Amino acid sequence: MNHALDTRHAALLLAPLTLLMLLFFLMPALSIVWTSVHGGQLDLAAYRELLTSALFRRVLATTFEISIEATALTLVIGYAIAMHLARLTPSARAVMMIFVMLPFWTSILVKSFAFTIVLGDAGLVNRAISWLFGTETPIPMLFNRVGVVLGMLNFLLPFMVLPVLGNLLAQDRTLQRAAETMGAGPVRIFLRITLPLSLPGVLSGVLMCLSLSVGSYITPALLGGRTDMMMANLVDFYTRQTLDWPAASAIAMVLLLITALIVVLLTRVRGGNVEVL
Amino acid sequence: MPMIEIDKLTKRYGEFVALAEFSLEVGKGEFVSLLGPSGSGKTTLLNLIAGMTRPSSGRIVIDGVDVTDLPASKRDLGMVFQNYALMPHMTVFENIAFPLRVRRVPNAEIKRRVGEVLDLIRMPHVAERRPRELSGGQQQRISLARCIVYRPSLILMDEPLGALDKKLREEMQIEISRLHRESGITMLYVTHDQEEALTMSDRIVLMREGRCAQVGTADELYFNPVSPYVADFIGHSNQLTCTILREEGGNVVVGLAGGDRRAVPRPAFPVPVGGKAILLVRPESASLAARADDHHSLRGTLEASLVVGSNIKHVVRLDSGETFLVQELNHRLRARPAIGSAVWVGWSAEASQLLSAS
Repeated sequence: MNHALDTRHAALLLAPLTLLMLLFFLMPALSIVWTSVHGGQLDLAAYRELLTSALFRRVLATTFEISIEATALTLVIGYAIAMHLARLTPSARAVMMIFVMLPFWTSILVKSFAFTIVLGDAGLVNRAISWLFGTETPIPMLFNRVGVVLGMLNFLLPFMVLPVLGNLLAQDRTLQRAAETMGAGPVRIFLRITLPLSLPGVLSGVLMCLSLSVGSYITPALLGGRTDMMMANLVDFYTRQTLDWPAASAIAMVLLLITALIVVLLTRVRGGNVEVL
Repeated sequence: MPMIEIDKLTKRYGEFVALAEFSLEVGKGEFVSLLGPSGSGKTTLLNLIAGMTRPSSGRIVIDGVDVTDLPASKRDLGMVFQNYALMPHMTVFENIAFPLRVRRVPNAEIKRRVGEVLDLIRMPHVAERRPRELSGGQQQRISLARCIVYRPSLILMDEPLGALDKKLREEMQIEISRLHRESGITMLYVTHDQEEALTMSDRIVLMREGRCAQVGTADELYFNPVSPYVADFIGHSNQLTCTILREEGGNVVVGLAGGDRRAVPRPAFPVPVGGKAILLVRPESASLAARADDHHSLRGTLEASLVVGSNIKHVVRLDSGETFLVQELNHRLRARPAIGSAVWVGWSAEASQLLSAS
């Protein structure tokens, strides 16, 4: 095919998307940068304030805490699910994948409200617990850390299961058979063979979940308490409560940088540039 | 006491019988090959012995212990796979040390024993390398070392040389034979390559459709096949349909399709006069002549003469329509009949054999 024509074709096909991104992503992003430095004055006061702000430091720490907690929990549960799925026949796996993907297809807003029904004091879980153990006082699971982490787990699960499952399916089964004939039990086979070989998948799942969770907004807002404020909620707080737009923009920039850093790491893992083994 | 006793082992997958009432004994230190085309049940048998699948019925005893219901990890076996199955994330040292760590061998002894087997396979300098840095032949030697290092009662090999090219395969055959001799470990070797089985094995189990067609040494299978199937599978063979005419001393006289009569040593099975049988003549036992004589009495047309270095193979279309292969040594200045000319083939009675036609 003609090379020049090829390039023109590509340009034509990509033009709508490029235009859209320019107008509705790059322009607003640049305007945030602009606002964060107080317009044309190149004033870094907003960033200086952030560094000294106890609130910002607190929220930054909370954001990392929640993201790490949620990612860790997602890793444990997601890995178990992926291992189970890897052992199924392809047709059974296809059916089970629907259940993994279900949270993917549901609006996060709807899911969060659903969680208030499930996790509330008179919710499904608490009623089940009091019926099983005869306890009277409900366990607080809503408007606190438990609620946020559970809500995020539900949202993050597919992002962990998919890369780990892909890795497990690609693993050579004869390695496990070989280890078995050499006398290794299931625990040793998992710890010495399956797990280390799955690390690239785990790493890419973990980075994906981290980058998604640091930007959480709805889940901490609806399921968390006062102390579970995350970066995105702080941006909201500064824009709408205190109307300090430079501060809000500076926080948004910090958040963008953190996410960008994780995404860069992720692409390096995906590209196989990171020697994990 | 034999190392392996297999007693009426059967494996069914639904209606399909992969292995049918199969029995076999393998002695301590023996090298036995399971030979057969794909689907003959040889890999099924190996997987049953390894404990990867469970039999439908029958019993497996290894070194005096009934292992039929034991999981693979408790059978104390070694297994060598066609794709080597080395752990890609471990060094060669850690790969070989793995079965020793499973057995909680102290570190100092692990170091010594891994060093010993690396010497045994003549690769003392690769301990810190990763498997993927080694060639296929080297990887398979590491995987053998990984078995030998923990001295299992038995090493199972599933087409271990299948992924290697011909020259390397021949080198590895010699290497495996040497390791078998030096380690004294009983080995059970699955292959579909008859040459491999013939050169390496103490005994060969030739399999067909989930059953044993014949068990014996390479010579027994070659010179005394029990059926046309075995004769056809091992080496080349000419199999001519014939009719039993009469018994004469230790011989039986049979009539061939062209009316030619031939004496053949009396077989172990009964030969009723007038019955049909198969006359087996190996190509290298036969010879070719341009004129009929007492010895060369079966007439045909020479279709092709293929020179394979030291050998020459003649393809003869007999007057009866059957194809007959003659293999002779190739001599300098040897006169050869022209392609398309009439030729006569012959063989000595003691070099031929009767096979049951059923």
